[in-house]
Amino acid sequence: MSGAFAGLRSVAAQVAAEGTDPHQLAAIVAFSAQPRSHPDALRRRDRDGDRTGPIAARVAALAGPPTATTSPVAARLLGAWRGDAVRVALVGDPAYPRCLAEGWPELDPPVWLAWRGQAPGHDPGVAIVGARRATSYGSGIAAWLAEAVTDAGVRVVSGGATGIDAAAHGATVGRPGGTTVVLGCGHRVDYPRSHARAGGLFDQLLEDGGTLVSEALPHQPPRAHQIRSRNRIVAGLAAAVVVVEGGERSGSLLTAGAAAERGRAVLAVPGDVRAPGSAAPHRLLAEGAGPCCSPAQLLESLGASPSRTQPSGDTTAVADGQARPGAAAPADGAAGGGATGVTTLPPTVHAALVRAWPRPVRLEDLASTAQVPVGGLLAALTRATVNGEIAEAADGIRLRRAPPDVG
Amino acid sequence: MSGAHGVLALVHAVALVGLTPHRVRIECSRATGLPGMRLVGLPDTAVREAEDRIRTAIQRSGLRWPQERIVINLAPADLPKVGSGFDLPLAIGVLAATEQIPAASLAGLCACGEVGLDGSIRPVPGTLPTAVGARDLRTGRLFVAEAAAGEAALVTDLEVVGVRDLTEVVALLRGDRLPRESLPTPTEVPASTLDLRDVRGQPVARRTVEIAAAGGHHLLLVGPPGCGKTMLARRLHALLPPLEMDQALEVAAIHSVAGERAPDAPLSLAPPLREPHHSISAAGLIGGGSGIARPGELALAHRGVLLLDELLETPRWILDALRQPLERGEITITRARSRVRYPSRVLFVAATNPCPCGHLGDPRRACTCRPDRIERYRARLSGPLLDRIDLHIEVQPVDRRQLAGAADGESTAVVAARVLEARQRGAERWGAGMLARDLQDHQLRAGCSGRAMSTLVRAIDGLALSARAFDRTLRVARTIADLEAVEVIAPEHVEEALAYRLSAPVGV
Ligand SMILES: [Zn+2]
Repeated sequence: MSGAFAGLRSVAAQVAAEGTDPHQLAAIVAFSAQPRSHPDALRRRDRDGDRTGPIAARVAALAGPPTATTSPVAARLLGAWRGDAVRVALVGDPAYPRCLAEGWPELDPPVWLAWRGQAPGHDPGVAIVGARRATSYGSGIAAWLAEAVTDAGVRVVSGGATGIDAAAHGATVGRPGGTTVVLGCGHRVDYPRSHARAGGLFDQLLEDGGTLVSEALPHQPPRAHQIRSRNRIVAGLAAAVVVVEGGERSGSLLTAGAAAERGRAVLAVPGDVRAPGSAAPHRLLAEGAGPCCSPAQLLESLGASPSRTQPSGDTTAVADGQARPGAAAPADGAAGGGATGVTTLPPTVHAALVRAWPRPVRLEDLASTAQVPVGGLLAALTRATVNGEIAEAADGIRLRRAPPDVG
Repeated sequence: MSGAHGVLALVHAVALVGLTPHRVRIECSRATGLPGMRLVGLPDTAVREAEDRIRTAIQRSGLRWPQERIVINLAPADLPKVGSGFDLPLAIGVLAATEQIPAASLAGLCACGEVGLDGSIRPVPGTLPTAVGARDLRTGRLFVAEAAAGEAALVTDLEVVGVRDLTEVVALLRGDRLPRESLPTPTEVPASTLDLRDVRGQPVARRTVEIAAAGGHHLLLVGPPGCGKTMLARRLHALLPPLEMDQALEVAAIHSVAGERAPDAPLSLAPPLREPHHSISAAGLIGGGSGIARPGELALAHRGVLLLDELLETPRWILDALRQPLERGEITITRARSRVRYPSRVLFVAATNPCPCGHLGDPRRACTCRPDRIERYRARLSGPLLDRIDLHIEVQPVDRRQLAGAADGESTAVVAARVLEARQRGAERWGAGMLARDLQDHQLRAGCSGRAMSTLVRAIDGLALSARAFDRTLRVARTIADLEAVEVIAPEHVEEALAYRLSAPVGV
């Protein structure tokens, strides 16, 4: 039996982030691992308690020590984290993001945060969130905003879902600010599948210095309530939340609500008044959210953020000249022609895509008007997709980056 | 041979196992015992029913039904013998055994036909492959129903005698009459009314159809309802070159076995186009049924186009059963007592909606599907069968303005000429009948420039494609090069070939 406790202690020590006490971590995980037990219960107990001293120590005391029954279970859970190179910090600990811990316990930050990749840091980022069923237009806007945010040295936070989230995360690759993905499930669960597979978006982000965070136990599946509750973490990690596209009952409304509760800025990107994906942003605009029509407008809203010096004048200058020291330089492979402004596309095709940006152009329409042979056009489009200049989706083809004269 | 039991009459017939002919010897003799007919050699029910038809027919034709026992042996015994086509040789055997026609007249005689109660001779399914079998097995001249004589006469180096009824058969074999000459049914190339010019505003789809026709590449069309998927598939069919004479016979033989061909219909040189409904059974698609397996839609589409709409509505296991026949160009159906092979070199065109509701990417109507359902749906558009399909495209609905506009594209005649040239170039290089679809890895690499190869490797990596995309892309690139009359595959051929894949379902 003492062997089980010893095993638990040693695995907890390997998983605990710097400044997190392995004993406290072991106790809280052991408590949460019991059937019908949730770390939320600890938060409620702490709210009603006397609340002096470090939060993590109080919460661990409320959890009680691991028992002979809970300790092997907790050791297994911590072992799964260790296997995935996950680090865990308890709320209030030095490695736990301060911007998220701020609201303890009223605003319900998670008792622990488990992450893969770089530590999440303390400075709030900008959350760019929206529909999973995004249009190419929405994805184009999300990428446009995300590029400007990361180029200003600010982290892009989102939920790692398909659609808008993926476009925002993906646009940060090779750029200085970095990105944080807030998962709606445990680290052991491959969700969404297309992003979690080997070589998928999540691997690319991790390789690029990104962070994947989760409040869930390793094997916890992405249940609806779980995905809803991760939205408060997205809001907690951001100084501003921008909603790009979303339906009437979009989860991004919850993220916006959580941001408002925390006194963080809420912005919405206006859309086509008849498109179903405009429901959420338009409702937020009606309720007083700030309109976000350009990266400049978004960066302005960060003025109140203490960790940020307001860039004066042209934001493009910030992007090009004031990249955070030590940040990754843009990779020329990934950004390719788009980054250098040199296009490999036939001039008529490029012009049509520039005119439409960020709206996509349907392939057949492009082929009908391009005045180049179809075979040659398709070859040029493949080239431009491979070097990252364009993105192809079911609703058409668009430039990945804003044309130089926009924004 | 004569003596106590009289004459032993011998007539030949052909039994088909699928399309494969087997010689059947039909021996008839009188025997002691109760009057009646006894069949030996495991004939199936239909052959057994022949006794009733033959007796009535012989009597009604003013001929004599024996008042003694007739023993008939169909050899070899282990061969399944199916269908009413054995009526005629059986009747001839009985008439010879009872000395109503000279036994000597049966030398080198093969017969196939159903006998009606009135003595008339009727055509049966499979007359054409029976005639091919009669020639290849050297059974001698072939008696068939007059209505099927034209079809049988398509087979060269075979004497075909068309007969109307038993009275005529007896007269011919007694030498009272000379046979009429049987002329082969005419051949025809039915002109398609479907022109590629009618496809407006879809230059990419038109280009894809041209490549599919030139290389014989299977094609997946993904698009909302009413975007013109079927229209494209039919025009692809119209682009295929007409069949050679022996190919047309092979195709007609399959249709004849399936009973899908009127015996007096002209021989069509047009490749077949089959469009089974998605609710089709496995037997209907692959072939099957009781007894000897009949050809299914797949074999009936041999050397033509098989179009399967609403692909994902067809059960997965049925689709998976298509893979091997598509790969091998041949279907093998194994039964307890027989194994049947049918050729199945088809151009497979599959069509499906882009998502469960059908409107993903449709500018006319919004898609109402949940993203995870779209992801699951799209995941089903892969797997062993889909991997065999070289060309995957999204067909986009054309807006009204373009539909109303003038037809601006090339006509079927112009494109078909290019398709034929590209096919001939491939045939010169790889051998007659070889299509880019059939090429193996080493053949593909041999014709590919180093730069094209490194372009392909880089692109597969950059686009995160699976390794299976490698051969698929090279096959299509080969066809594109052949359409341009270029011998070595260049980087732009590879890049174009890579474009024939589906893009992401949501904005990325
Ligand atoms: Zn849909």
